[in-house]
Amino acid sequence: MRLKPLLILAAAAAGLYFAPVSAAELRIGFTLDPLTLDPANHRSRETESVLRTMYNGLVAHDPSMKLVPELIESWTWIDPQTMEAKIRPGVRFHSGETMTADDIVFTFTRLLADGAIAGQTSPRKGLLGPTREVVKLNDSTVRFLLTEPWPVLPAMLTFQEVVSKSFTEKAGAGGIATTEDGTGPFKLVQWRRGDSLVLERAASYFGGGPGIPKAGNACIERTIIKIIPENASRVAALLAGDVHIINELPAHDIRTVEANPNTAVMAVNGTRSFFVALNTTKKPFDDVRVRQAANHALNRKLMIDKLLAGRATKLDGVMSPAAFGHNPNLPEYAFDPKRAKDLLTAAGYPNGIDVTLDADGPQKETAEAIAALLTQAGIRTKVAIGEGSQVRTRWAINGKKEGDMWITSWGNGSLDPTDIFEPTLQTGGRGNSAFYSNPKVDALLAAGGRETDATKRAAFYQDAEALIHADAPWIFLWLPQDLYGVSRRLTGWSPAASGWLNLRDVCVQ
Amino acid sequence: MISRLGKLLPDKLARLAGLGVLAFIVMAAFAPLIAPQDPAATDLFRRLQPPAWLDEGDWAFPLGCDALGRDILSRIIFGARVSIFIGVVVVLLATVIGVMAGLAAGYLRGATDRLISGLVDVLLGFPYLIFAVGLMAMMGPGVLNMVLALAYKEWVVPCRLVRGETLAARETEYVEAARAMGASSLSIMVGEILPNILSPVIVVGTVRIAQVIILEASLSFLGLGVQPPTASWGSMVADGRAFILDAWWVSTFPGLAILLLVLCINVASQAVRDALDPRFHD
Amino acid sequence: MTPVLLLQRVGHLVPVLLGVTVIVFLMMSLTPGDPAEIMLANQNATPAQVAMLRHDMGLDRPLMERFVSFVGHALQGDFGQSLFHRRPVATVIMERLPATIELSVAAMAFALLVSIPLGVMAAVYRGGVLDRLATVGALLGVSLPGFWFGILMLIGFAVNLRWLPVSGAIDFAAQPPGITGLMVVDSMLALRGDSLMNALAHLVLPAITLGLPMAAILMRVTRASMLEVLRQDYITFAEAKGLGRGRIIALHALKNGLLPTVTVAAMETGSLLGGNMVVETVFGWPGLGRLVVESIFVRNYPLVQAAVLLYAVTYVVVNFLADLLYTVLNPRVRM
Repeated sequence: MRLKPLLILAAAAAGLYFAPVSAAELRIGFTLDPLTLDPANHRSRETESVLRTMYNGLVAHDPSMKLVPELIESWTWIDPQTMEAKIRPGVRFHSGETMTADDIVFTFTRLLADGAIAGQTSPRKGLLGPTREVVKLNDSTVRFLLTEPWPVLPAMLTFQEVVSKSFTEKAGAGGIATTEDGTGPFKLVQWRRGDSLVLERAASYFGGGPGIPKAGNACIERTIIKIIPENASRVAALLAGDVHIINELPAHDIRTVEANPNTAVMAVNGTRSFFVALNTTKKPFDDVRVRQAANHALNRKLMIDKLLAGRATKLDGVMSPAAFGHNPNLPEYAFDPKRAKDLLTAAGYPNGIDVTLDADGPQKETAEAIAALLTQAGIRTKVAIGEGSQVRTRWAINGKKEGDMWITSWGNGSLDPTDIFEPTLQTGGRGNSAFYSNPKVDALLAAGGRETDATKRAAFYQDAEALIHADAPWIFLWLPQDLYGVSRRLTGWSPAASGWLNLRDVCVQ
Repeated sequence: MISRLGKLLPDKLARLAGLGVLAFIVMAAFAPLIAPQDPAATDLFRRLQPPAWLDEGDWAFPLGCDALGRDILSRIIFGARVSIFIGVVVVLLATVIGVMAGLAAGYLRGATDRLISGLVDVLLGFPYLIFAVGLMAMMGPGVLNMVLALAYKEWVVPCRLVRGETLAARETEYVEAARAMGASSLSIMVGEILPNILSPVIVVGTVRIAQVIILEASLSFLGLGVQPPTASWGSMVADGRAFILDAWWVSTFPGLAILLLVLCINVASQAVRDALDPRFHD
Repeated sequence: MTPVLLLQRVGHLVPVLLGVTVIVFLMMSLTPGDPAEIMLANQNATPAQVAMLRHDMGLDRPLMERFVSFVGHALQGDFGQSLFHRRPVATVIMERLPATIELSVAAMAFALLVSIPLGVMAAVYRGGVLDRLATVGALLGVSLPGFWFGILMLIGFAVNLRWLPVSGAIDFAAQPPGITGLMVVDSMLALRGDSLMNALAHLVLPAITLGLPMAAILMRVTRASMLEVLRQDYITFAEAKGLGRGRIIALHALKNGLLPTVTVAAMETGSLLGGNMVVETVFGWPGLGRLVVESIFVRNYPLVQAAVLLYAVTYVVVNFLADLLYTVLNPRVRM
């Protein structure tokens, strides 16, 4: 008996500790542990990525980010304030129960009603805009009732997942936060907090929206999402073959991953616009010439090439070129230090300006690079690193408006302009960190938010983007690609702009 | 005292360590003259440039460059300022406060002692790094806040030491003699007791500097340290961590600097201890 | 020790714990930033809604009242809601606690197993090769910045040599049925050798990184106190009686020589608890330390507050117990 521990240690030393790996197992190295498994009670992109392996929404994206019905068969507008959705028949939850109109109504009531989650109000309520209520018309039809026209509703429905009424009521707020009963391709076996999620293929899965082309049949039985927050460790795990997919591959590791015969890099155009918000209410950035000077002072191409390994799209406007209503004719803010100096001189700052750039920890490197480049062009910039929420509070719309510049970003997962223009650039918008206010832009955004004709609607946003481009409330930066490292044994998988881990068709050879 | 100082640095190793500490101090003091480059000058074309002896290296940047193309050697040289400044200032501040509080508690006893010892007990209840992390979270980053966050707890170390020594000293003949001659409490504490208990305070202080430097580096590593572009060794290690797979030099050299400085202080402080305080002898 | 004395000692704990609680409470209350606003970030909240949540969370009440209510709730294990997990802080902490306990105990075991034999041997063979090596090793141990050393070990042993796993506490396939949440213990309870190996392999690097400074300090303490003891009269006496040196060390010297080690080991649990934050961050260990660091950066105060309090209380209690043990082991200590 005494020998046993010794034998075990000896075996461990010989490297035999590695667990056997079955070919039908997919392992993913993922940055963050989900905050909760309750689809209605978080505002975290990573949490949603994980949840989408177990849950579905009424609407999803196809690989080109086109909207396709998922748990519904179709949607139609009855009038600008009423949308009707036909429920897909035969969809079953993991528990085996069939999804009904009642489940959908329940899901949305839980999202919309104040205090519906054990006294808390869903933080995802804001993503439903003017949606007032969802009602059941009959067993196969529900209606969305809005308080004002809101054509972006179908796009915004991609952010919500449908839960089972009976499960949620039985499990309670604590139960649904740690277990699940979704309709997705995988079901939860175990969630070891901070360490991993173990999922297995759900036999009850309905197969996904028919609008999403199938790459083949998934051949994995089990998926393990391993939480590896350290970038270097995550990449190392991929290179070692311990995991088959990693998210947030750092740009500087692209070469290493490509050089390895067993691994490859996969990329998808992201939906998150990066920018430096300029405080338009305070000197020196209250002057449009100074803001334009800042845009000309920054060599964005150099930054993209060096810091992001070229894996980003330079922006001269607000949003992704792939987004609805993007203005393709915006002129470029070319890198032109002389132009920048002239603009500064014209604004009354012939000797340049001294400003501070706020940033949070993850943006430290980019912020320091921006500061160095701006300083070379006469915009002498100091970097102040704060913690995320502290900096956000400092730049809140109802805050003191004391800062000069803030490097931040805004995700536009729906690729619809409403989702990014209204919060960040409308007067008083909740994310309007530049404190930008232009009545003409406000009017265009209001019109665009209501307009149901797609062509007219696009025109409103294109005009707005042109005005914003000229007013330059931001230093427009870039739209990074989302980078993933994958094993070459992986098939049937590609990254999605939404960040969802679409595991429906995935195979490991 | 003089004869004791003669015993200082008794062997070669200690002498070497002493020289090492001196070298770090000189490096920090004359950083702008010694550093080959401006530690804040970024050059994206030199991003993650390897050390000079490797391919693509350049002797103008002997230890290579970080992610923003800044010279690592120059940043280490300037980083010595932060580490040494914080180490010395925190320990000095803590020693002044701790000695005063310890003298008062040990000599006056009674309510003063209960108050000070109570506070000491409470502060001792916190693991050091946890306490500092909590304070930094509250006060925000920066050199001054870092000094405060560490000093708030550090003073407990000399305080406890001085209190114990004072309790013993107050019963000695020379103190009783002074009291009999009508000397005031203050003059006894400062004039009679303090000089006699200074040796162990200095001994402990030198060792503590090393520990404070590691704590500072740990806080900076966790992202709760000084503000950029100031180079701190701890934050340099943290920044380089992301590049460790393909650019090991970014984190390795600053970490080595911490190790060397702390090691030198520890070795040298052992020699100081042996010389100043014979009681510690084996 | 009589029950009365024991009670007295426990009585001394109360003001310390209260003081610790006051400081933790003040620390977090004085931190800038409004938890209500943080909780409602991204939600289009109107000032009225923020004010209402502030009221619900009791943030609009006077500091003293909030403290009393904080203590009252804390005694019942209620530390409020984690702002981002949107679940009770106590639940979230309990989920992550076993991993931290396992790592800390492993680090402590490593430190004790390395330091005591080395310290004793170094004292017995004073001035010998082993003594010198141990002294140099101890110097290195206290001078190594743990976060840096951990990264180097990770790259060396896990990434390049691939002897040990890169991240996490155990692989899924090797995972034993959960009973205690401590992987090593669960593996043994389930009599699964593969699980035990896997868990130990995951533990090696983090535990060494975390335990090294403690091992160095304990080695020094053990060596010094053993040297002291070996010089004592009774040892000389025993030698004169003709007892073998090995027996003397085993019978007499160890018992007294290890007393200071106990006290210092308890004191050093403080650096273990703090070191957890750093080591768990480096090794992706699914424990409380990493959660605290992550929570600081999103200003998840209720969680940070509860965790800091938990660490402090643990530390106070460990030292208290070590104190008791010291008293029990050493009949010469009287109160």
